[in-house]
Amino acid sequence: MKKLAIGLAAAMTLALAGGAQAQAYPTRPITMIVPFAAGGPTDIIARIVGDHMSKTLGQQLVIENVAGAGGTTGITRAVTAAPDGYTIAMGHLGTFSAAPATYPGLKYDPINGMQTIGLAGGTPILIVARKNLEPKDLKEFVAYVKANADKVNEAHAGLGSVSWTTCTLLKGQLGVPKLNAVAYRGTGPALNDLVSGQIDFMCDQIVSVAEQVKAGTIKAYAVASAQRSPALPDVPTTTEAGLPEYQIEAWNGIAGPKGMPKEAVDRLVDALNKALNDEGTKKRLLDLGTVLPTAEERTPAGFAALIKRDADKLSPALSAAPK
Amino acid sequence: MFSNLSLGFGVALSLQNLALCFAGCLVGTLIGVLPGVGPIATIAILLPITFGLDPVGALIMLAGIYYGAQYGGSTTAILVNIPGEATSVVTTLDGHQMAKQGRAGVALGTAALGSFFAGCVATLFIAALGAPLTKLALLFGPAEYFSLMVMGLCFAVVLARGSILKAFCMIMLGLLLSTVGTDLETGQERMTMGFPPLADGIDFAVLAMGVFGFAEVLRNLENTETRDVVRAKIGRLLPGWDDIKQSIKPVLRGTLLGGILGILPGNGAVLGPFASYTLEKKLAKDPSRFGKGAIEGVAGPESANNAGAQTAFIPLLTLGIPPNAVMALMVGAMTIHGIIPGPQVMTKNPELFWGMIASMWIGNLMLLVINLPLVGVWVKLLQVPYRLMFPSILIFCCIGIYSVNNQPVDVAFTAMFGLFGYLLIKLGFEPAPMLLGFVLGKLMEEKLRQALIISRGSFMTFLERPISAGLLVVAVAILVIALLPSINKKRDEVFTE
Amino acid sequence: MSLNQIERAQGLRVRSSQDLAAGLFMILLAGIAFVMSYELPMGTLRQLGPGMLPKSFAAICAALGALLVISSLRFHGEKLSGWSWRGVFFVLGAACVFALCIRGFDLGPIHVPQLGLAVAGPLVILISGLAADDLKPKELVIFAVVMSTACALLFKYALSLPIPLAPWLLGI
Repeated sequence: MKKLAIGLAAAMTLALAGGAQAQAYPTRPITMIVPFAAGGPTDIIARIVGDHMSKTLGQQLVIENVAGAGGTTGITRAVTAAPDGYTIAMGHLGTFSAAPATYPGLKYDPINGMQTIGLAGGTPILIVARKNLEPKDLKEFVAYVKANADKVNEAHAGLGSVSWTTCTLLKGQLGVPKLNAVAYRGTGPALNDLVSGQIDFMCDQIVSVAEQVKAGTIKAYAVASAQRSPALPDVPTTTEAGLPEYQIEAWNGIAGPKGMPKEAVDRLVDALNKALNDEGTKKRLLDLGTVLPTAEERTPAGFAALIKRDADKLSPALSAAPK
Repeated sequence: MFSNLSLGFGVALSLQNLALCFAGCLVGTLIGVLPGVGPIATIAILLPITFGLDPVGALIMLAGIYYGAQYGGSTTAILVNIPGEATSVVTTLDGHQMAKQGRAGVALGTAALGSFFAGCVATLFIAALGAPLTKLALLFGPAEYFSLMVMGLCFAVVLARGSILKAFCMIMLGLLLSTVGTDLETGQERMTMGFPPLADGIDFAVLAMGVFGFAEVLRNLENTETRDVVRAKIGRLLPGWDDIKQSIKPVLRGTLLGGILGILPGNGAVLGPFASYTLEKKLAKDPSRFGKGAIEGVAGPESANNAGAQTAFIPLLTLGIPPNAVMALMVGAMTIHGIIPGPQVMTKNPELFWGMIASMWIGNLMLLVINLPLVGVWVKLLQVPYRLMFPSILIFCCIGIYSVNNQPVDVAFTAMFGLFGYLLIKLGFEPAPMLLGFVLGKLMEEKLRQALIISRGSFMTFLERPISAGLLVVAVAILVIALLPSINKKRDEVFTE
Repeated sequence: MSLNQIERAQGLRVRSSQDLAAGLFMILLAGIAFVMSYELPMGTLRQLGPGMLPKSFAAICAALGALLVISSLRFHGEKLSGWSWRGVFFVLGAACVFALCIRGFDLGPIHVPQLGLAVAGPLVILISGLAADDLKPKELVIFAVVMSTACALLFKYALSLPIPLAPWLLGI
């Protein structure tokens, strides 16, 4: 009741101040839409980063989970909201770079139709296989897949998911786009069948599979990033293992509707950077196997360039993928 | 095992962790009991309040919330006929009938005691056999799951109170509804009429709240007599000796069934209560009591529910793989606290692993301590005049449904399914088999297609694999047992005309 | 001659209007589902298409519906009972009003501003309350205010859910 009274009083004061606009952005809580269910990889990063951003902004950054259609429902709501800086969204590789090629009826344009804020973190992609699959390293694996294209089974977590997107890219690059793909509802069940040896391989974010690799229940061929991951230092990069063209990261970043006031964009970029420079936040992100973004990627322009780059990289494979 | 358990109790019995467990159970119960707010919504809502805690404490509190929410879901199933999730659908059948007969207190008490017993057994079960049982989960591939789902659907036939033909109709309708939404494999939209909110299919909460919650309100508004009976009669608050004697065997059987099914990933726990209900109905001397307030129909399934809820932690804690949506949420919670679940949690974080197992038992005890006194409060709620009760149910449902995905359109969908549920009531259909068909349908299609891709299109895969073949045999047996008497009965009915 | 045969000899007539309607309802739903999934490919056994299961389920639904219709002509059963549209209208209407008001809505020419829980809450209770036949207006109004305040405090403040309260007044 007290809080309500205070809220009412605050509203009265605001109304009395009457358009004076004396206060700087933000004057009320900001909604950050996470287009996936609570507890998923994007949600976790959003909560960790949002927690610190709230401190810098002096206003609560409220996480609102709006799940649906591979994350495009939530992003659609965020980028079509009023561009006042009070509605932003945390999207990922799928919703910003892959969605235009995956969802033909997409209602937003990630390249020209939104205001990017910055990248919050990237998660390396790992190529993993059941522990008793014959090939010992990535080179043998590539040869094996090409030679046994009618025998090998690949698992993914549903059309539009990170594992589907990244694996489709891999299959496109290997020239075996029609490889048997077994669709699962989420990473968990797919991982279960990989551990039990029902299926042969999958690509997924390091945070979802690293513990299984450490325990030896599945094996990892390579990590698809420039550097080895501290979470799995023994796993070679794709460049080291002989497939340098396969470079992809499942990143998460913040964007809002086009036309946001410059002041709001600057404040949000500043808050994001302060969060990513904070030791505590950094440690929590690194524990998840996250790669921290470069200084360039933390700016609106740098993030926009990343979205464009990955969209260009993915769209040929995704458009050609059998659906 | 005992040294491990004592390590666990050492962790869980610290004053702070006890307090967290208690707080979790209490808050979980209070939120979970709101009609329209099921366990998944409850955990998602309460997840952020654990952020500030240390990992072990946070997980203990979350486990408490989970048990509380589970039990809260059963409470609404009994009191107002709204199942909080798929596993408490069965509880509505006899639990709500008991409430209508003025035995709400007995039903709630039986559910609490049965759950407590099942929880204790399941905790020991996990502590002793958790690691070896993991292998069971790995024996189940897509083919085995498909057969398991087929068996599950056969349980649904037995659930029916009236005509078996109508039960079949409802199961198929549930299966049909489950295919709405984007196709997992090809991304094609199916029966969505191009309407984006339907792209992810129909949400279980939306369907259940519509055909149970809203439709029940409409039914009650029509029959003024029956709902006033509920208010007039308030029987004893706790189960008496006779009730307990009647419940012992169903509780034992339910615990066993639920415990075993709960281990299976891919949401095997859903089948526990249905299997238990089927078993009790078949074993009963007078099966016609079922659906009219038989206490065994509450005791068995509720025990199975809780045992399954507990053993569902096994794949998560030993394999690091979440078997269902609630457990996936727990993975998220663990990850936020810097513990990434994997096969090595047991060896790398023994205090976390055993602390959680110990806290499961403590959580169950707390649940009993919290809920037995609350039974009186819940039963008193039934005395609120219905003209005030149903608007309250409605506002909680609206807010609860809205909060799951923060989508207003979900509320409108629920209203639509309310109308659908009302039509079903008018046409003499029972919604429970439909919900089971709906829940199993998604999994069934997914597993069928996976199995056929892996087997390159050979249906023999379901018969060649021994576990799968065994499950199919059981399914056929259930069907035959269920159908034979009813075919005879139909003949009898005709003869008596 | 058994009774059964006597009954049958009397020819087919509607013996259970409820079962007949139920059967027709199933056939109708199956028809709708079949039309909606008409264009989805069935696929092959090796790679089942998205249309395989919806069409199969729809076909089975229609068959079961037909069985129901036949049995309604042969076996006695329940009759269809009366409908109460007052409940349907107010209760389901209230839920729809909540859906429209909570975040605002644009549907062609209709524009509803984002009213939030402060408006949607009382509206749900007031509108649905009209469905009760023992309606007490004054009590309902008081109850609507009390209940909405309680919900706002519980969900918005105690649980801090991101549910809009009154964006037009409080900005949250």
